[in-house]
Amino acid sequence: MEGVCAGDTLAMARAITEIENGSLAGVELGLAAQELNPRTATLGVTGPPGAGKSSLINALIGELLPRFARIGVLTVDPSSPVSGGAVLGDRVRMAAHSANPGVFIRSLAARGHLGGVTRTTRKVIDLLAAGGMELVIVETVGTGQSEVEVAELTDVKLMVCAPGMGDEMQAIKAGVLEVADLLVVNKADLPDADRTANFLRAMLMHRGDAEHRVALKVSTLRREGLAELAGGICARLERAGERYAPALRTDPPQAALARDTAELVMAMIRETADPAITALADDVAGGSIARRDAARKAIGLLARDVG
Amino acid sequence: MSDTLPRPRVLLTKSFIDSHDRAIETIALALRDAAMEVVLIDYEQPEDVVTVALQEDVDVIGISFMSGGQVETTQKIVAELARWDVSDLPIVVGGIIRPFDEPPLREAGVANIFRGGAPLSDVVATFEALSRSYRGLA
Repeated sequence: MEGVCAGDTLAMARAITEIENGSLAGVELGLAAQELNPRTATLGVTGPPGAGKSSLINALIGELLPRFARIGVLTVDPSSPVSGGAVLGDRVRMAAHSANPGVFIRSLAARGHLGGVTRTTRKVIDLLAAGGMELVIVETVGTGQSEVEVAELTDVKLMVCAPGMGDEMQAIKAGVLEVADLLVVNKADLPDADRTANFLRAMLMHRGDAEHRVALKVSTLRREGLAELAGGICARLERAGERYAPALRTDPPQAALARDTAELVMAMIRETADPAITALADDVAGGSIARRDAARKAIGLLARDVG
Repeated sequence: MSDTLPRPRVLLTKSFIDSHDRAIETIALALRDAAMEVVLIDYEQPEDVVTVALQEDVDVIGISFMSGGQVETTQKIVAELARWDVSDLPIVVGGIIRPFDEPPLREAGVANIFRGGAPLSDVVATFEALSRSYRGLA
């Protein structure tokens, strides 16, 4: 953990691996990071595949670095439902920033978790914050209805689409469109960009608060609209800082304790070498003890081990 | 799917600015189908390849070569790994590797050399074994 707080790249990277793997070390690191209560600005970037999110983030980092000295990027891609593996290719578009020690980019596989992010993304964000990141950008794939978890995790949310996406435009009506703060029409150098932007603006008017939520056109190819987008993001981040109250800190104390304890217990039982517990697991699998009895017994055994 | 099952993490990179993606993508998909998480990047400077490998906490680095730089690029990556004190992170090279490249590559410490046409199952098995031993398992 000291390595993380010193901003050490290896320490942060290995900590993220442990947290994502739900190991005992990972659970403890996650809890330690959250306890430090590190405050970092967070930006969510979602939208259909092919919208150009990674390229946009690549360009945005350049615009935001003067304002945020250290920027972390988490880019989440789905895992194969067949094999459980994943090809994580988003950072191809962000290669310009590999040489910058102020930028930390990490690719994460969703590992079957629905909602667009991973089960432990919140903790990874807190870990990056503990490591000195002033802004964490979370990129996920989302067309709308189900990938809204990124909205709960981030202060400001961008929804990015590209012109002429046809059916995808219909799909993004509900869900993400409702929670996004800024709607971005990327690849605005393509035809139909104006029509797409107007369509989005019209939908925003329907829902009210159009003055807060805006549709912007951006072209990373022509480097247009980027400064305006960055300005819009920073303005909203400043406002969000005043009212941000993450759910974890408003949970009743006993519920929070229950949740932390449950995580620790899960990791401990999975990793323990205590022969009494492994024998118990075999007994359950073999059917000689009921599951609920075994679970209670496991708590007792664990309590004895923890002392 | 179990989201807590640790999966091998691998970095695959091309060695030069060329558009021949088929080989590296084939390997990436094969590794994915073997339940590995593959971070795929295009060409980057050797120092940056190592930065990526560290940020992504990978177990193995795979470099795909076509038109040159086999020895020089590999040596630079090895040197950069040493600078970060992670010399035990294994490197696998593949693609167009000429016979006279092999001795200096082996001397630089690459774990495996795969010529184009090597059976995919061998490649996958090698990455799996290297990942396990890097993580200190089995």
